[in-house]
Amino acid sequence: MTAPDVLITAGIDVGSSSIKTVVFQDRGPSGHRMLAGLAERLRRRDPLDVATETFEKALSAAGIARGDVDYIATTGEGENVPFRTGHFYGMTTHARGGLFLDPAVRAVVDIGALHTRAVLMDDRAKVLGYRMTSQCASGSGQFLENICRYLGVTIDEIGPLSLEADAPESCSSICAVLAETDVINMVSRGVSIPNILRGIHDSMAGRYVKLATAAGANGVVLVTGGLSRDAGLLAAMRDANRDLDIRTHEHAVLAGAIGAALWGGYRARRLREKGLSLTGGAA
Amino acid sequence: MKSAHGNSNVTELLARAQALHHDLRFENVRAWKERNGGLAVGYLPVYVPRELLWAMNVLPVGVVGGGDQVEIIRGDAYYQSYICHLPRSTIELGLNGALDVLDGVLFPATCDVIRNLSGMWMMQFPDKYVHYLDVPQDFDTGVGGAFYRHELLEIAGALEARGARPLTDAALRAAIAAYDANRREIEALYELRRREPWKVPTHELYLVLKAGLVLPVDEHTMMLEDYRRLVIRDDARRPLDQARMLITGSFCEQPPIGLIKTLERAGCYIVDDDLVAVHRWIRGDVASLAPGQPPLDALVEAFLRNGVPSAIRYIDQDKKGRDLVERVRASGAEGVVFCAASFCDPALLDQPMLVGALDAAGIPWTSFKYAENTGQFQVIREQAGTFADSIKLWSGA
Repeated sequence: MTAPDVLITAGIDVGSSSIKTVVFQDRGPSGHRMLAGLAERLRRRDPLDVATETFEKALSAAGIARGDVDYIATTGEGENVPFRTGHFYGMTTHARGGLFLDPAVRAVVDIGALHTRAVLMDDRAKVLGYRMTSQCASGSGQFLENICRYLGVTIDEIGPLSLEADAPESCSSICAVLAETDVINMVSRGVSIPNILRGIHDSMAGRYVKLATAAGANGVVLVTGGLSRDAGLLAAMRDANRDLDIRTHEHAVLAGAIGAALWGGYRARRLREKGLSLTGGAA
Repeated sequence: MKSAHGNSNVTELLARAQALHHDLRFENVRAWKERNGGLAVGYLPVYVPRELLWAMNVLPVGVVGGGDQVEIIRGDAYYQSYICHLPRSTIELGLNGALDVLDGVLFPATCDVIRNLSGMWMMQFPDKYVHYLDVPQDFDTGVGGAFYRHELLEIAGALEARGARPLTDAALRAAIAAYDANRREIEALYELRRREPWKVPTHELYLVLKAGLVLPVDEHTMMLEDYRRLVIRDDARRPLDQARMLITGSFCEQPPIGLIKTLERAGCYIVDDDLVAVHRWIRGDVASLAPGQPPLDALVEAFLRNGVPSAIRYIDQDKKGRDLVERVRASGAEGVVFCAASFCDPALLDQPMLVGALDAAGIPWTSFKYAENTGQFQVIREQAGTFADSIKLWSGA
């Protein structure tokens, strides 16, 4: 049991390649504390099964009973999670999660497996504007995963390898199909893997910083989502626009789930003020 | 346990409603005609006085186009690309024989497009009864009422000439009572949804309302009663933290059910709407409107006095705006979604005035357009989802 003024909230971010779950202790104005956070790859499993499994694991890691959760917030593709209390949209949650991770942030670039979006916000995490990539796969982590397979490297290796580049090879910035053809040509011409990867990172980075500036970003920008762990991509983004202060955070991959949990706490308090209780989600 | 009318659970009831929704050959209507020997007459949106038809043992059949189930092959040749989708799919259904079961079609004065469709129907189907139901825009009983009464009697005469039962006061009274009961049951469902929107998801309500376009009125009323009884006791339907929305503009061409589901999944509880508008176009009971007078007078008065201030009535724009604001207040909606068919002149031409009324009342709104065969909802999902978020996080909700 928790004190009445302390809430327990959970955030579940259902992505197209992985599910991120966090559990938070929400003390309102006194602050928030992350009790547990984890990310689980889908690996062709049913997203609802994985969401349930990661939620249970996160509760267990946090030492919280399911019945003590005051609000279960979903985001991403989580509208169908049956035990949710409420759902928030990706740009809303990444903005809130970004602000929690770095209070100086006023824009977030969320780079996921299928989409990238740049979100401009104020100091309360209110979304002021956004830009999103089209459905083309060249703006996505999925594209990078395909390239990894062609080159025979793991996704975790691409960042460090990219940083070793000495003569990056330029790559199509328009189309994933053309870019993949470029990569095959580079391999046959004997271009080194670091130079190929940095060329790809430069291509993607150019699109992301344009997206951010088109959304109105200036100053501190936090990169969130699955590719926030890619040091090579971050370096390429910093080189692509030196006016922006591009940052990330060790929990940036969890930003959506964190934002969902925090907004969930806010909503739980608002509903309590109105005398409403949505206990179904935590039952 | 089975209900009084044979539906033992919501799933079965909705499966029946879904089957009626998908049956573009109108097999249900065909079976009714075989059983009862009456005529079946179709009607286009938005409103026709179905009581008159039912009193003459004529089954009124709502025709709302082909939805997302019909591939338009010949229909596009009849309408320009800047015309809405409903008439082209309706004429496609006519040309492919799906509407052969209908003995005639009524085309109410909804817009120029539907009026023109009545002319095409006359030329394409010369053996069928076709009537353009011109409705008065003068709401005085002695002027518009007299005109409308004449229209109704003309329809009754034409149907009788085609073999329908003669119109009698007793039969019309019974028909009005049947539709009043239907309206009351629909209102009860809307009231339940306003109170507990999680009990009555709009994508279900939509199917149940659509079933009323093809079912005999008594059968539809029983379906409504069953549905309400079953969902009230379904404890698995639990509340979620969603934003309460009123959707407006969908009174003629109907949105695909996927769009309704998208809005609900995006975090919206729809707590009022103008979907399948024929059912709620008259507010309140008709029977009590002309006490001691012939029932036809009550039907006329219902049109003149109790028709909703919708886009197809040429009335003071302030009245429409006020009515929308009152509906928002009464339903407890926290925002309004203008959800109109592309190229729907009546809906889209009224929209700026309605927006003005909402802005003046401080009610947030968003808008988008659809076609009956829209299949891609990602943009609407994003828009509705962020709108719901903005209400939950940044308004007084």
